[in-house]
Amino acid sequence: MKRFDVRPPVLTAQIAEDMTEIWSEWRRQKLPLYLFLGLCFNLVLAPAVFAATGGEMSRSQTYWLSALGLVTIALAIYLFFVMFVPEKF
Amino acid sequence: MQTPQDSDSLQSSRSGKRDSRRHTPKANMSGLYQRAIREAFIKLDPRTEVKNPVMFVVWVGTIVTFLVTLDPNLFGTVQADPGQQRLLNGLITFILFFTLVFANFAEAVAEGRGKAQADALRSTRSDTIAHKLLPDGSIQEVSSTELQRGDQVKVVAGDMIPADGEVIKGIASVDESAITGESAPVLKQPGTDIMSSVTGGTRILSDELILKVASDPGQGFIDRMIALVEGAERVKTPNEIALTVLLTVLTLVFLIVVATVSPLANYVSAPTTIAILISLLVALIPTTIGGLLSAIGIAGMDRVAQFNVIATSGRAVEACGDISTLVLDKTGTITLGNRLADEFIPVDGHTVEEVAQIALAASVFDETPEGKSIVILAERNSANINFNTDDASGVEFTARTRMSGTDLPNGKEVRKGAVDAVKGFVRSRGGTIPVQLDAAYERVSRLGGTPLAVCQDGEIYGVIYLKDIVKAGLRERFDQLRRMGVKTIMLTGDNRITASVIAEEAGVDDFIAEATPEDKIDVIRREQAEGKLVAMTGDGTNDAPALAQANVGVAMNSGTQAAKEAANMVDLDSDPTKLIDLVTIGKQLLITRGALTTFSIANDIAKYFAIIPTIFAAAGIGSLNIMGLKSPQSAIISALIYNALIIPALIPLALKGVQFRPLTADQLLRRNILIYGVGGVIAPFIAIKIIDVLLPFS
Repeated sequence: MKRFDVRPPVLTAQIAEDMTEIWSEWRRQKLPLYLFLGLCFNLVLAPAVFAATGGEMSRSQTYWLSALGLVTIALAIYLFFVMFVPEKF
Repeated sequence: MQTPQDSDSLQSSRSGKRDSRRHTPKANMSGLYQRAIREAFIKLDPRTEVKNPVMFVVWVGTIVTFLVTLDPNLFGTVQADPGQQRLLNGLITFILFFTLVFANFAEAVAEGRGKAQADALRSTRSDTIAHKLLPDGSIQEVSSTELQRGDQVKVVAGDMIPADGEVIKGIASVDESAITGESAPVLKQPGTDIMSSVTGGTRILSDELILKVASDPGQGFIDRMIALVEGAERVKTPNEIALTVLLTVLTLVFLIVVATVSPLANYVSAPTTIAILISLLVALIPTTIGGLLSAIGIAGMDRVAQFNVIATSGRAVEACGDISTLVLDKTGTITLGNRLADEFIPVDGHTVEEVAQIALAASVFDETPEGKSIVILAERNSANINFNTDDASGVEFTARTRMSGTDLPNGKEVRKGAVDAVKGFVRSRGGTIPVQLDAAYERVSRLGGTPLAVCQDGEIYGVIYLKDIVKAGLRERFDQLRRMGVKTIMLTGDNRITASVIAEEAGVDDFIAEATPEDKIDVIRREQAEGKLVAMTGDGTNDAPALAQANVGVAMNSGTQAAKEAANMVDLDSDPTKLIDLVTIGKQLLITRGALTTFSIANDIAKYFAIIPTIFAAAGIGSLNIMGLKSPQSAIISALIYNALIIPALIPLALKGVQFRPLTADQLLRRNILIYGVGGVIAPFIAIKIIDVLLPFS
C-alpha cells in the first residue's frame, strides 16, 4: 500500500521551530520548570501525607496540604538565601 | 594669590542664611498620591515583592488565604460552618491584601517625591547648544549631550552652561539659582581654588568664559543627584542590609514557630485552621518596619538633596550619622572668611604711613578679599602706588612659602606673609629681626586676628592686623555636636595663639595650628587609627587627598574639580558648616530606622495577647484574653486590621524622620525605648481593643 505523509513539510518545520523556542525560553526562565518539578514532587509526597493522616483526609486535601508544606519549605529556603546574600535584595 | 596664613577656603561667608538657603526644590507634587496608589497595585507583582522578604511572606500568605476563601476545606475539613468560615477567610484575605498595598504605597510615595525632585532637577538640564572650541580655534555648535570630558566650550552672557567644567579663561558672573536657589550671582574665574568650577544648568549673566568640560554626558554632578533622588538604581546601604538580615531572621523564626503550632494545637485538642495560622504569622513578623524600610531610606536621600548636597551614595549619608570626629578649616568655615585689614602696626621705628606704603606695594597683584582690604586700608593711610605695575611682577602665595608680594622694577622685593616665613625671608636677605615684632605679633594673635608681617628686602616694616570674626551661632552648634558625641577639630595655618583664641571663642574641642596640607591627612589618619569615623570639608586641590582619606568628605561646589572628585559629597551651596546638617540628617536616618524597628517588634506583644488565647482557648488559656476581646474571630480580625493600618499611619513619620534631638547616645536610647518601645507595647493594646469594640460582629 502506498504510504502517504499527511504532515506537510511546512508544518513539520513550524513545530520544530516552536519546540526550539520553547526550549530556549525554558533555559532562560527556570521558574516554570521548577514549579513543574515541584508539582511532580508533590505527587510523590501527597501519598505519604495521606498515609500519615490515616485516611482522615481526602486525596485532594492531602495533595493541597503537601503542596502547602512544600511552599513553606521553599519560603524557608528563600529566607535563608536572603540571610546569606542580602545584597541581592 | 591667597593670603599667607591660611591655605583654607577664602570664600566669604553668607552667615545667618543657612535655613533660608535650604533649597526647597520646585518639584511638582500634584498627583503624587494618585500615582502612588496606582504604583502600590503595580508593585504587587511577585517579581517586585520578592525583593522584600517580609512582605513576600505576607504575599504568599494572602494567596493561601484566598484559596481557603474559595474552598475552606482545601487543606482539611474544618469544624465550623463553611459559610462563616468562608466569610472569615475572605476578611483575612482582604486585610492581608491591603497590608501589602499599604506597604507598597509607602514606598511609592517616597519614590514619587524623589521622582518629582528629579524631574525638577532634570528641567534645569534641558539640552542646550554648546559652542565647542576646536583645536584649530574655530567654533562648532554641538548639543550639550555630545560634549565629552576634556572638550573646551565658550559660553557668553545669556548662555546656559552646557556641562560641569572648570574655567580656564575669562571672568564672568554666573547665576546658580537653578541649582542652589541662591539668587545672588557668583563670580567665576580661572586659577583659583574656589571660583573656577561651574555646574551645568546654571546661566552666565555677564562677559564670557572658556570652560573645560569635566565629565562625560550623564555623569555630571546633577545627573548623579537625579539618579540618587529618583531611587531607581538605589543600592541598599550597609545599615539597611543589616536590618534586612535581622528582619529576615525574625521572619524565618516565626515561620518555623507557626508551622509547628498546628500539630501542637491538635495535640491539645484545639485544632486551628490554616487561615488563623497565617494570621498569626503575619501578626508576628515585623511587617511595619518591613513595609516602611525602603521608604525611610529613600526619604533620607531626598532630605539630603533638599539641603542642596549631592551625595554619591546612601552609604556616605549613613556614614555621616556615625561620624565621631569633624575636621573643619578655620577661615570661611568657623570664621566669616572675609578677613579685613584693620590696622597697620609699625615696628623698628617705622611709621604707619611707611608700613602702609610697603603693604600696598606687596598687595597690588593680590586679588583676594584680604589683599583688596589691605589696599583700601593702605590708601586710607595715604599710601599710593609709586611704580609702574607693568614693569613689576607679582609673587603668588603658596602653602610652602606662606608669603606673597611683588618684585619691584627697581629690583627690590616686598613681601607680606606669616611672621615666621617673613623672618626667614629677611634673614636670607641679610636683615635682622626687630625686637618689637614678636610683641606686635602676640598682640594681634591675642585679639584672635591674623598677623601678617610686611618687609622690603631685609627690613621688616611692621605687622598688618587681619581681623577675623567667628560666625554667629557656631558655639551652640558645636555644643550640639559635642552632646551627640562628635568631636570637632579646627585646622588652620595661623599661629598657635590666634588659633587658640579662635578655638576658645568658637568652642571647638581641639585645634591644630600652623597646619600644612599634609597635616590634614595626618589628623584624619590618626583619628581613623583610633577607630573613629572622620568627616572633613574642603575645596582646594590640596584638600583632595584629605577628602579622599576622610570617611565623609564634603567638597564645596565652588571648589576645584579635584576636590569634588575626591569627596563623596558636594555641597552646592558651598557652605562648609553644612557638614553639621549632614551629621544631623545621617543620625536622623539611623534613629528613624531604629525607632520604627523597636516599635514594630514591640507591637508583637499585644498581638500575641490578641491571637494566642483564641487559638488555645480550648486548652485552657482563654484567661490570657486580657483585652476582653469579643470572640476569637473578632480578635484575629482586630489584630490584623491594626497590623494593616499602622503602616499608613507611620508613613508621615517614616518620610519626615524622627525629630532629631542633640542628646548623648545613652539619652537617645532611653528616650527611644520609652517612646517607641514602651509605646509600641501599649499602643496596640488600646488600638486593638478599640477596633474590636467597633467591629460589627462578635
